[in-house]
Amino acid sequence: MRYGDFTPFDIILLLQGLGVSLALFVSTTLIGLVIGTAWAVVRFYRVPVLMQLVTFVAELLKNSPVLVQLFLVFFGLPAFLKINVTPTEAAVITLSGNSAAFIYVIAVSAIESVGRDQIEAARVFGLTRWQILRRVIAPQATAFAIGPLTGLLVNQLQVTSLISVIGVMDLTKVGNILNLRTLKPFIVWTAVGLVYYLTAKLVTYAGARFEKRLRAHTAWKGL
Amino acid sequence: MKFDLSILAKHIPFLLEGAWLTLQACTLAVVGSLALGLVVGAMRTSASPLLNRVAAVYIDIFRNIPFIVQLFFFYFGLPEIGIYIDAFTTGVVALSIAGGAFTSDVIRSGILAIDPGVIEAAQVSGLRKITIFRKIILPIALRASVRPLGSVFINLILTSSILSTITLNELTGSAKIVASNTFRPFEVYFVLLVAYAALTYAVSILIGMLHRYLNRHQEEGAV
Repeated sequence: MRYGDFTPFDIILLLQGLGVSLALFVSTTLIGLVIGTAWAVVRFYRVPVLMQLVTFVAELLKNSPVLVQLFLVFFGLPAFLKINVTPTEAAVITLSGNSAAFIYVIAVSAIESVGRDQIEAARVFGLTRWQILRRVIAPQATAFAIGPLTGLLVNQLQVTSLISVIGVMDLTKVGNILNLRTLKPFIVWTAVGLVYYLTAKLVTYAGARFEKRLRAHTAWKGL
Repeated sequence: MKFDLSILAKHIPFLLEGAWLTLQACTLAVVGSLALGLVVGAMRTSASPLLNRVAAVYIDIFRNIPFIVQLFFFYFGLPEIGIYIDAFTTGVVALSIAGGAFTSDVIRSGILAIDPGVIEAAQVSGLRKITIFRKIILPIALRASVRPLGSVFINLILTSSILSTITLNELTGSAKIVASNTFRPFEVYFVLLVAYAALTYAVSILIGMLHRYLNRHQEEGAV
């Protein structure tokens, strides 16, 4: 007997897939934020060798397909270093690195958006390098970066769908399984697409809200 | 394990075959997405609320759903409604439709950036709508959006690697075969990564040259 019909359990399966996708999305974004910002700070202080290395790695990661990076980590690393890499680990490593490379670019332009004169003024007031970074640059740079960052995150959410290719049970993989079982591709992929769409909208909305809050102090309040 | 690239030497012709297929798919997809992008970009900036709305919905949907889901939708879905086309055509169509959404956004912002006075002057001169669009709006908008279009097309090249998931043996697909034949996945995918990065780097240089060539009059006049 074939179970070709949809069952109520399929919804739970879809939600499970969504959970895996979201968990990987959030965790790799956070790791990417930390690494990407650290790279941008390295560039800001013009650390000699490290700066060139960071620029090179970021360029390489930005200019190659995520799928190939994923294969390199999942198939390449175990063969080369004789280590075990599970699909989830490979996904976390690849997506974090990829996010970091794009966040690095945004962070660099955000830091540059803060005028040199402000930094000079802060230096004249006797603030230390760390204080300047923490109290002068960070608040303004964050407000500047939220817009592009939201766009990037919507993109990164879609990039997470690629990890289904190496066997992580995310939303796309669940779609694949349902598609093979029910043989109703239109319904399955429309449903999967809809879930991704709504999640992306949610990310956009959250980003816009957050940006509004960060920029609240510059908004016109009336006399 | 030591890093040995020489084992790849005898697989280079096979990989080049894949690269050729990637090139074909990308060229067709660039043409397709540019054509689609022009139409949708024009719709998005037209005075008709209906056309505007339709274009906005199209852009919104295809920008917010992962490409791999769209691809599966077409690849598994089309045969269901009796359209039997091969993986290559499906891939090119899906790439064009997804790319068209991004292209039309770029063209739209190019059109919106045109000084309204120029269009008013054309209208006052009694030019027909279609003439204004073809001879005044398009040249200005396209010239201004060479660079953003270039980054959309570079993204298209990177996205084309996903076509390997629908059994199309383009560059990534054939590298997968080589990797499983030689048992040297690290070397294969590393070379592939560098190859894609070099390819997109070359394309970005070409785009820069095209941009300078098309805007040569502006630069002379500006100084």
